[in-house]
This record gives sequence, C-alpha cells and structure tokens, in this order.
Amino acid sequence: MTTGGAETVGSATGPVLDDYRNAARAWLAANMTRRDGPPEDGDVDDYTPDVMAANRALQRRLYEGGYAGITWPVEYGGQGLSRAHEAVFWEEAAEFVMPDFGALTITTFYVCVPTMLTSASPEFLRRYVPKVLAGEQLVCQFFSEPSSGSDLAGARTSAVRDGEDWVLNGQKIWSTFANLADAGMCLARSDWSVPKHQGLTWFLVPCDAPGLTIRPIQQINEVAEFCEEFFDDVVVPDSDRLCDVNAGWALTRTMFVFERGAGRPEDESPLEGPGPLAPDLVALARRTERLQDPLVRQQLARAHTTDYVGKVLGARIAHLGRLGQLNPGVASYVKLFRGTTSPQRARLTAEIGGAAAMTWDPAEPDGAEPALAYVRGRGASIAGGTNETQRNVIGERALGLPREPSFDTDKPYSDVLRDARNWAADA
Amino acid sequence: MRWLPEVRNLELDLSADQELLRETAARFIADACPLSTVRQMIGAESDLPADYFKTAGPLGWFSMLVPEELGGGSVSGAGLRDVAIVAEERGRVLQPGPFAGMNIAAATLAAAGSTAHRTDIVPALCDGRAIATWVPGDGAQGTGDRDRIVATPRAGGVSLSGRVRPVQGGAQADWLLVSAGGAPRSGGGQSQFVIHTATPGVTVTPLAGLDVTQRYAAISFADVVVLDTAAVGALGGAEADIERQLQLACVLTTVETVGAMDALFDITRSYAIDRIAFGRPIGSFQAVKHQLADMSLALEASKAIAAAAVGAVQERTEDAGQIVSMAKSWVADTGVDLAQGCAQVFAGIGFTWEHDLHLYLRRITMNGLLFGQSDWHRERICRLSLV
Repeated sequence: MTTGGAETVGSATGPVLDDYRNAARAWLAANMTRRDGPPEDGDVDDYTPDVMAANRALQRRLYEGGYAGITWPVEYGGQGLSRAHEAVFWEEAAEFVMPDFGALTITTFYVCVPTMLTSASPEFLRRYVPKVLAGEQLVCQFFSEPSSGSDLAGARTSAVRDGEDWVLNGQKIWSTFANLADAGMCLARSDWSVPKHQGLTWFLVPCDAPGLTIRPIQQINEVAEFCEEFFDDVVVPDSDRLCDVNAGWALTRTMFVFERGAGRPEDESPLEGPGPLAPDLVALARRTERLQDPLVRQQLARAHTTDYVGKVLGARIAHLGRLGQLNPGVASYVKLFRGTTSPQRARLTAEIGGAAAMTWDPAEPDGAEPALAYVRGRGASIAGGTNETQRNVIGERALGLPREPSFDTDKPYSDVLRDARNWAADA
Repeated sequence: MRWLPEVRNLELDLSADQELLRETAARFIADACPLSTVRQMIGAESDLPADYFKTAGPLGWFSMLVPEELGGGSVSGAGLRDVAIVAEERGRVLQPGPFAGMNIAAATLAAAGSTAHRTDIVPALCDGRAIATWVPGDGAQGTGDRDRIVATPRAGGVSLSGRVRPVQGGAQADWLLVSAGGAPRSGGGQSQFVIHTATPGVTVTPLAGLDVTQRYAAISFADVVVLDTAAVGALGGAEADIERQLQLACVLTTVETVGAMDALFDITRSYAIDRIAFGRPIGSFQAVKHQLADMSLALEASKAIAAAAVGAVQERTEDAGQIVSMAKSWVADTGVDLAQGCAQVFAGIGFTWEHDLHLYLRRITMNGLLFGQSDWHRERICRLSLV
C-alpha cells in the first residue's frame, strides 16, 4: 500500500500570522457564540443525542468556514497550514463555545485521524477525512481486549482475508464513548504464524456494521464512559484497511505518540500557584467537624502538596519535551505520578470523612460525591497502562535498565499462547 | 546505557553564564573537596579543608544575594537562582560548611544591617574571609521553648539569654546572625543581632551527629550584653526578615538535598546494571526495576517542586512561603525514601562505612530535619492557606 504521504504538520507557508489572527477573530465573532464561563468536562450522560447533534452542527460550521483540520492536508479537506496557524486560531477561539464531543474530541481529532494520516491510502483519506472535518464521523478506538490490556500487542481479535473483504471476529473493551461514535479504529490479528508484533493490522469499522454489538459498561463509580464490543463475522472492505497488512504495530506506536499529546495545541501558559488548599477535602473536614484536628490538617497539607507537585512535575516534563527530551520513559513519569497519588488521595476522602461521609441521605445534593471519589480514585493506576507497565517503561526506556527475559517475541503467536497454557498446567 | 532525561539539573533553562557558574563550581568542588576529602575530614575539628571558603568566595558563592554596590552581584540578575545552582552542585558531593547560613547572613546584613555591618562584615563574608551562620532563636520552626533566645531590654541595648541547638557551622563561624524573641514583659516582637562568637557569655559547644559530613554546634547565650549597634533592622520588627531567612534556608537546604539525591540515585542505577545475581543484572528484575522507577519519579518530582520554590522566593510571590514549605516537606520525605530505597538496592555493601551510600543517607536525612520538620511545615501550609 502506498501511504498517503500525509504531513500532519502542515507547511509553514500560508497567510501571515497576524492577518490570519485578525481574520479568525472576525470570523469567530460573526459565526460562533461567546462562552459564559470556562469550558467544563461533561459526564458521558451529558452528551445526549441533541447535544451531540448541536456539536456536530458547530463542527460543520467550522469546516465550512475553513477552520477545521487547520494543519491537515488540503487534498483531504484540511487547510494545509502550520502548527503556528493552528495555535493562533485556538488562542482566538478560547473565548468561544467550540465543538465538544467529550472524549471523542481527542480520539477523533488528536489521536485516530492523525494516526490514519500517516499510513492510510490516499483513496481512503480523500473519501473519509472530509466527513470527519464536517462533523459527520466521530472515531473511537477498538484497541484493548479482555485478554490484552497492558499487553496490547497480544490482541486476539482475528481478521481473515476473504476476497476483497476481511472478516473480523473477537471482542474489544474499554472503548471510550464508543456508543456515541460513528466508527472505531480496530486492531486485529491478521497472521497467527508470526511473532505477536508482526501479525497485526488496523481497520476502520463502522459502529453500525452488521455483526458488531456495542454495550456500555457500568463502572465502579456507576457511570458508563467505556464500552465493550462483540465482533461476530463483521465484514470490512479491504479499502478500509489503514496500514499495510501485518504492519499494525508500527502504526500502534505512532498512535501512542499522538495519545501522549503530540500535535495538540500546546499549553504554554505560565504555571499558576498552588491555589486554594484541596477544596474538596477541606469542605469534607468542615462538614465532619474535623478541620482543627492536627492529624487531619497533616493529611490536608499532604494532599495539597501532592496536587501542586503533580502540576509542577507536569510542567517540567512538558518543558523537557520542548527541549527534545521526551522519550516514552520520560512521558511515563506524569502517568505514574497520577497513578500512584490518585488512589492515595481518594483514600483520604474516606479517612477524613469517616463513616459519616460514606453514608448520605439520598435527597442530599452531591451526598454521594465522597463515596464516588473514593471508588473513582483507582482508575488512574490502571487506565492507559497500569502503574507496573509505567514502571517498566521508565526503568527500561528512561533509566536504561536491562529488559526482562521475553517469552513471546521470537515465536509464532499461536505457539506463545499454547506454551503459556502448558506453563500454567505444569505449575 | 544512556540515562534519560539527559538534562539533570533542577533548572532546565540555564543561560551560558549560569552554565559557566555551574561548571566553575563543579570544578572547584572536584579539586578542593571531592568525596575522598569529605571522608578525610570526618572526625576532624572542622569540616572545612584549608582555605575552602576563601577560595569559594571569589567564585561568587556568598555574594550573589548582595547588591553590587556592596561588593556582591549575580551572573543572571536573579541572585537566588544562581545561588541555587551552586547549592545543587554542592549537594552532589556533600560539601561542607554553612553555605545557607553564609548567604543568609550576607543577604540580611546587606539589606537591613547598619553601615558598619555593610562596610565591615558583608565584604568579608562575600570574600569568604569571615564565616557566618544563622542562629534561629525566635522559637519558630516547631522547636518552641526548647531552642529560644530571649532579648531583654537594658540600658544601651539588650541582654540575650537562651540557647539553640543545633546550629550548622556554629563552631567554625566568626559571626552569628541571631534571631531572638522579645521578653514577655517587654511585649516585644522579634529582633535580630549580629554578634561575634568571641563575645563574653556566648558558649559554642561542638556536637557529634548523624551527618558526619557537616559540623553542628550548640550555642548558648548567658545574659550576653548586646549594644544597639549590633541590631540588624528595627528592634522588635524583624518578623519579615526572619520569614525571608527561613525561606532562603529551606530553599537552599532543599536544593542541596536534591543534588545529593541525584548523585546517589546515579550510582545506585549504575550498580543495578553492573551487579549480577541469579545470572542476570539485578536491574532486570522487576522487583528492583520498579523500585528504581519509583525513586526516579520521586527525584524528578523533587526537582520540579524545588525549582518552583526557588522561583517563588526569587520573585517574592505572595504564595512563596507556602510553596517553600511544600518543597521542604516533600523533598525531606521523598529524599529519605530515596536514600533508604538506594540502601536496599546496594544491600550488604551499602551497610559498610567504606561505601559512600551512608554519607548520602546521613546528609539527606539531616537536611530534612533542619529548619522545620515536615509536620511543622505541613501545619504551616494549612495556616498560610487560611485553613
């Protein structure tokens, strides 16, 4: 397959930045609505069909105004301009209500489509990308599986060639907002006779494809941001294949780079101070009349310090990135910090609030919040790669420590699974 | 094997001049007081090799918080950022002497001292010809009445009584910058004085201690008569100066600890690659690798919060006191975690006197206990946040 040859970073040519800024400002004022307050992250339940439709209409307006896909190639419906132009536009747009598809904003515009642009065929990209820019296609990831979480290269969903089509069977899970998406980028095993990294291929699968069932998963904190999908003989045309056959792992690594934030407008705003001391925990301590308890005050100061250390660590790692130091090991520091401190901080809600805060009158507004915060806290140590995975990445990629012996990189993947089963049986 | 990130300094954007300052400090340390010399000085009366401060003075070590017209000046115009560069290099090699005390005394005397203080003492400190340290006897830092000096008014001055223990470099110092509380019946606030250690009534008792790379002393004052001319700033009005000194002391101590953590982690990481057990480098075992990853995270986070504290104190931001207490308590606690974790990776060899690990463990632990322990700083964070 010839790749699209797409430069996701557009050319540096184009209108002078000041002219571009003035034009963008005028267009925004004429076409978009000013915000009342800062943008808020909504829960999945906030994205009702009406809300999604309204945001799709906003996206279409951006597209028709020439402000969608600013750095994406012109031949695929983008504007072909530089990152600097994009940064200018988003600075000007900060005061306006912009399209918001929840988690699908990131997966569609900053992860999946930028990944496709590096490897999919020009024919596919000409056909598909304009629909994305026009708000008609939102893309999620069909990536993790029940049997492969941190070990993503161990995917077992199979793709079997059938003439001009592929037939997919298997199961995916942890697909954020898949029930609201139009299509998913799906990683499948196209060859079981080679080592695990060498037999993977990416496809685009419409969410309404016959044989595909999507089910939201109720989480520990009662909301359902994630879905699971069942693939029963789902037919995908070869023209919707997103990389060379069996070249899926290289594209996966490209996707990781975008997941870590490459290509997004950078936030270089100066770091703010610590701000008010852990307002959620202070409110809890006040409610339970423990604000003057010296032991509670120690915990409050610890939480406040950890919150601020997380901020300055994030700024330091971003700064290292700008100095060209952002290898995956370094990027994992922020993730591991969150993964190790969030569960501890969540525990504080139970320790400070005590039994009184872990029970509530159902009529009381936000009465459930401390208990929800407590159970929610575990997520950061798991989602996007467990703490243990981050520690391996830091140890091997940042600190240069020797790798563990591997049991799955040098033999056919079908043998890997067989040998592992025998290993367990011998125990 | 490369260790990333390659930029290991606490400050990520050093100017060419600052980089030169760092290199010059590192070269001086390697020549004048490498770890082998630090070791030789253990048990000696002073921890300072001959002419150590006299050679460091002309390198700018003690003059960067002093204005140019008094013989000071910094390389970047942001004096504390430059002092912090030196403090970090000092920490890597566990350098001796009251570095924080020297800089605090020079800065406060330059800003609030009398003309005589500024013309006689400040230049001597900048040159490293005289040694000064800070005696925080104002009863803050969680020590309460145990370490307090009280100033009682008398004709022509005050009389000082009380003691402070420990004082860094107390037995090596010529001058003491003494912070004292007012006598209850005079209702006075805090005052500061600069006193020569040879003043009658001042007793300096050298102490042995956990940190064998640094010297500490107990300093007591038995009705020491101090004339008004020794006062630094207004009598009873030193609160703001003392707060500033506390911030400087905490920041410099914290940055020094971060330098020590970085150096200790570096040798530990190398050891985990070189040491073979069960047929493998021990760093390939996840049980060891994961400990090193956690320590390395603690180190990067410590660098980030220490740099934030340097910036806040340099810029005198409104929340500087709070950020300093965050940095001090965070680095004190994670520093000890890191040093203990490194000891576990070295295992048996790290339990020997001959190995350098214990020197780092001692310095990092002691630095964390100075100028307010972590629990005191945490309560201060609550207070400063109006909780």
